[in-house]
Amino acid sequence: MGNDAIAELVNVSKYYGTGSGRVTALDSVDLFLVKGEAVVLVGPSGSGKSTLLHLLGCIDKQDDGRVVIDGFDTSSKSLEELAPLRLDKIGFVFQSFNLIPVLTAYENVEIPLLFKGLGSSIVKDRVDEVLDSVGLYDRKHHYPRQMSGGQQQRVAIARAIVGNPSLILADEPTANLDSKTGGEVLDLLLHLSQNEERSVFVASHDLVVLERIKKVISILDGKLSIE
Amino acid sequence: MNIVKLATIALRNLFRNSRRTFITVLVSAAGFAALAILAGYMDFSFYGLRELTVCKGFTAGGGTGHIQIFNRESLQKEELFPLQYGIEANEKIRADIESIEKVSFTMPRIEFNGLISNGDKSISFLGLGVDPEKEAGLIRYWNSLEKMAGKNMSDAAYRQLENTGSYGVLLGQEMAKTLNAGTGTDLMLMSTTVDGAVNVVDVKVAGIIRGAMKSIDRHYLVAPLETAMSLLQTDRVSNIVVVLRQTEDTAPVGKLIETNLRNQGDEQAFSVVPWQELATYYYSVRDVYNIIFGFTGAIVVALVFLSCANTMLMATMERVREIGTLKAIGVSNVWVALLFLFEGFFIGILSVAGGVVLKIIFSVIINNSNVKMPPPPGMTSSYLLKIFSAVEFMPSIALLIIFSTTLSGLLTLLKIRKISIVNSLTHV
Repeated sequence: MGNDAIAELVNVSKYYGTGSGRVTALDSVDLFLVKGEAVVLVGPSGSGKSTLLHLLGCIDKQDDGRVVIDGFDTSSKSLEELAPLRLDKIGFVFQSFNLIPVLTAYENVEIPLLFKGLGSSIVKDRVDEVLDSVGLYDRKHHYPRQMSGGQQQRVAIARAIVGNPSLILADEPTANLDSKTGGEVLDLLLHLSQNEERSVFVASHDLVVLERIKKVISILDGKLSIE
Repeated sequence: MNIVKLATIALRNLFRNSRRTFITVLVSAAGFAALAILAGYMDFSFYGLRELTVCKGFTAGGGTGHIQIFNRESLQKEELFPLQYGIEANEKIRADIESIEKVSFTMPRIEFNGLISNGDKSISFLGLGVDPEKEAGLIRYWNSLEKMAGKNMSDAAYRQLENTGSYGVLLGQEMAKTLNAGTGTDLMLMSTTVDGAVNVVDVKVAGIIRGAMKSIDRHYLVAPLETAMSLLQTDRVSNIVVVLRQTEDTAPVGKLIETNLRNQGDEQAFSVVPWQELATYYYSVRDVYNIIFGFTGAIVVALVFLSCANTMLMATMERVREIGTLKAIGVSNVWVALLFLFEGFFIGILSVAGGVVLKIIFSVIINNSNVKMPPPPGMTSSYLLKIFSAVEFMPSIALLIIFSTTLSGLLTLLKIRKISIVNSLTHV
């Protein structure tokens, strides 16, 4: 694996079910993600998009092959053992935002930093900075229920990037948003890739996303093809 | 992780389903109140039993007083004749003891036995020779106990004994029935004198008394000291009973008396015995109560734990998606469980606060309801239920409740570990 790789999947397979009911979600997949690159993964429902994203995000384990994140081979580690790696290297943006409802925007964004054991002033400065960068500084004391879908997704992006991860994984980030808001969210993700040299890996079947991100990887029946 | 932040989040989580939290807190608070009331009742029971042991006693030896002085040999050897190892010249010893500030008064007693007869029927008796005025003092001591206010005992029997003169006796209720005797009945006491001869004295029933226990009433009689001395033909006494101003001073005063006796060169002659060593009934009852209360307490704590554990596990189920999100972000299972642990802790704190209020309310209601409790097994009189504040038990009970609710929060770790991150992210 080269020094410029943020993630590498080597001959990775993932199956669901057993016996005759076994389904192959990923079939001997090889993937190489370069640092600072934006990639979109497209494919129909059930093609294995989310599974691939989960393996890259170290929130699921492959049945065969190796997953290497920023030079660290995760294959022999349990998901619990990979928690620090997720905290440091990976930022997640979920389709349904997955914000904690009892926490304000500021507190939701603060979570990853709290578990990194940083000092309170560092945390505050960083959270303010990130909320400012996603345009929600003025809404930092709002709870998720007090914000629109677009604002919630921007909070989710802020939460994903606040810990300075090298890899940002977004699963259908625009699916629950109108086209204008989806476009804004996409701008934000591309900005991270272009200006902050973070790798952004987006799973989507939104045409707008396909138009904006140059590198497209297709997945069908668990097999990848790079366009 | 900033613990204060985690605690703040946990506290907010409690109010997400405030109705359920309220019910859980109510159950746990009721648990605290139940334990606190139980402790208050236990405290009342033990206190009452202790002071009853001191003032009235559960044996034919009467109230133990706080300390008793014996001729040491009487505790070590079998007497060949009555009062072989009695105490002589008790007035001097008593005067010395009464000079101690914390001593209220002292009184001599003679324990004797023999036969009592109405002419037609003779039965054995266990007699106690007393100074009626002093024994009435022991009753007055009981009546002066603030914590036993409203539970006064009457000293009328001792007054009657005093008024009847040297040859009056008080008979146990059951004995009086057996002898078909009532106040004013003439009876005969027969016993062996200190010289081994048989002696008889005529006595008049001055009153009927009820001992604390029915079994004692069948053979129990109380006579003035002079009567006992006359029957036994001696001026010795069996023991000297020391009554203090308060029971809590028993140990230090006992040591002081021992020291004084030793300094007077009487160390070898006397044994200074605190009431605890004479209170076998008190300790056996206390042991039984401790087991009952301990068992009840364990059930209450288990109920609190299960109730809170149920709430915690329901909260875990409802927040599967959040838990999955936190785990996906990189928060370890232990930290997530710690969040629930804090929630359990706060439920415990709220429960203790609520429990204290409930305990006070119910204690006031019970204490003012004049609830009459049936006589305990083997005893003759009922008593009014009272719940003491039992403040000294409160920290332990609070810790127990908080520990059980917190532990129930920790139980969620088992569930959290099993939650699949992938499945939980889309959980509805």
